[in-house]
Amino acid sequence: MSLTTTRRQLLRTAAVVAPVWVAAPGVLRAQAKPRVVVVGGGPAGTTVAKYVARDSEGKVAVALVEPKESYTTCFYGNLYLGGQRTFDSITHNYVELVRKYGVAHYRDTAVAVDPATKKVRLASGRELAYDRLVVAPGIDIRYDSIDGYSEEAAAVMPHAWQAGEQTALLKAQLEAMEDGGLFILASPPNPYRCPPGPYERASMIAWYFKQHKPKSKILILDAKKQFSKQDLFLEGWNRHYPGMIEWVPEELGGTVEAVDPATMTVVAGGEKHKAAVANIVPAQRAGFIARAAGLANDSGWCPVEPGTFKSKLQPDIFVLGDAAIAADMPKSAFSANSQAKVVAMVIRHELTGSKLFEPRLRNTCWSSITDKDTVKIGANYRPTEAKLEAFDSFVSKVGESDELRAQTRAEADAWYDSIVQDIFA
Amino acid sequence: MSTVGTAAVILSLVAVAAPALAGDPEYGAYLASECFACHPKGQPVGPMPPLHLLPRDYIVQALREYRAGTRDNLAMSLVARNLSDEDIESLADYFQVMSAQLGGR
Ligand SMILES: Cc1cc2nc3c(=O)[nH]c(=O)nc-3n(C[C@H](O)[C@H](O)[C@H](O)COP(=O)(O)OP(=O)(O)OC[C@H]3O[C@@H](n4cnc5c(N)ncnc54)[C@H](O)[C@@H]3O)c2cc1C
Ligand code: HEC
Repeated sequence: MSLTTTRRQLLRTAAVVAPVWVAAPGVLRAQAKPRVVVVGGGPAGTTVAKYVARDSEGKVAVALVEPKESYTTCFYGNLYLGGQRTFDSITHNYVELVRKYGVAHYRDTAVAVDPATKKVRLASGRELAYDRLVVAPGIDIRYDSIDGYSEEAAAVMPHAWQAGEQTALLKAQLEAMEDGGLFILASPPNPYRCPPGPYERASMIAWYFKQHKPKSKILILDAKKQFSKQDLFLEGWNRHYPGMIEWVPEELGGTVEAVDPATMTVVAGGEKHKAAVANIVPAQRAGFIARAAGLANDSGWCPVEPGTFKSKLQPDIFVLGDAAIAADMPKSAFSANSQAKVVAMVIRHELTGSKLFEPRLRNTCWSSITDKDTVKIGANYRPTEAKLEAFDSFVSKVGESDELRAQTRAEADAWYDSIVQDIFA
Repeated sequence: MSTVGTAAVILSLVAVAAPALAGDPEYGAYLASECFACHPKGQPVGPMPPLHLLPRDYIVQALREYRAGTRDNLAMSLVARNLSDEDIESLADYFQVMSAQLGGR
């Protein structure tokens, strides 16, 4: 299909759409703007909302549905657990998005989508009509994947894989723990949010223990046979925390089968472990609204067209960030922000006729092992028929100099400030 | 779960490059949006400087060096290896305009 045909078709489509926010009678069609509704104010949704609103210069009305007033990032959450960042420094809000770009922030939860009438229903009962819908709700925890685990159990054995209260709870437990205690980290099966995340978490907690509770131990029970940046983490653990961290892979009985919060017991490979603090990170799937809207397949995640992030299952809906099947891209904030710029470009093209360029997609993830030993991994991606294929990549090397690792930490800190600015300001 | 057949036409739309990219400010803006994942727009804070504070020629030369491997940083070289000469010129133009607007250099 040629670009011009597409544009003409879209113009025709646009003319038929009833152009009001809430489908109310008596509003003049001539005044209307095309409407984009974004569900989810994480890195994925917020970046789309900002870029569409900013670059369409008032030609598109953008609504962001996100119940929270402020957003605490999972990224750099491990550094908060290690005592290297404050909670406030990883918490951001939507004030600039509203003020600078005119995004309408609905502090509400999307509960249903009707793709036929193109409306989103919110928990308050309000309905929002859309021309294009963006669904970026992140992940849901699969509580049912581990016997004895549940939302209630997570108040005792936090997952802390959705940031905010859960991260603060885990931090408080670590601070209350006596020196010499056993910290258990259950690491999830693939695919999940942030592949190196559990291992950075173990590193940051080891960092905290080393200074404050040096007799304590860390046991990682893993549902996988191997993990991201494995050589680099193992090198770092041997070097900085000898004897403190034990990693049990899947084939040696690492998969956690059951937990009992009442006795703080974790069962893996038939063996019972008693934890002082247990951080249980179960399997995951796309946030419920994505599944309720018919956007997910049997895997629990959402299939999308690799070059545009359009849902393969419903029309005029985009899914991106952690909820989408974007392999080879990992589920990361960097990926989500990169995908969002492509989605914003495609949406503006469809609604305003702005130009379309080849999608450019990238991930880069830094992981800190101490306060000045940081490693990184990254890749560029291009769409093929079947997936987003990595076509160029790098990873830090074992045995790099202390100076280079410290420089890499400085990069990571600067990245955090820049990406948060790119998302929220 | 329903598959929507009628939407197939629109769904099959894959983003394609428009012709004549050189000198197109929209293209420069799109490329530059990648940079803001790491480089700040405001004050310098770390090893990634705000790009509108750098001279045009310096940007062009740095990008060529990262691409060629004569200057090396794993993360930045990954970015540069994905840029054509035309891309580099469009980016340099973009940051020059940004600099004029923000009163950068
Ligand atoms: C410990 C840890 C460390 C990490 N470190 C890094 C890192 O160093 N670098 C990196 O790039 N990534 C990192 N990540 C991954 C990163 O946090 C996620 O990939 C990223 O947050 C995904 O963004 P998202 O917008 O898709 O989802 P989310 O960030 O989960 O945002 C989704 C938002 O949608 C809202 N929402 C959900 N359902 C609804 C609904 N029905 N209606 C309205 N709103 C809704 C939620 O409230 C939430 O705010 C880390 C993750 C963890 C857990
Ligand atoms: C993944 C993070 C990342 C992204 C994305 C990125 N950069 Fe960089 N950039 C860096 C880092 C890290 C350095 C410092 C490297 C070094 O120490 O040599 C750097 C350095 C530079 C420099 C040299 C600065 C100086 O003071 O000498 C230029 C120019 C530059 N980048 C341009 C760009 C442009 C243009 C883009 C977008 C196309 C971009 N960068 C995207 C990480 C990034």
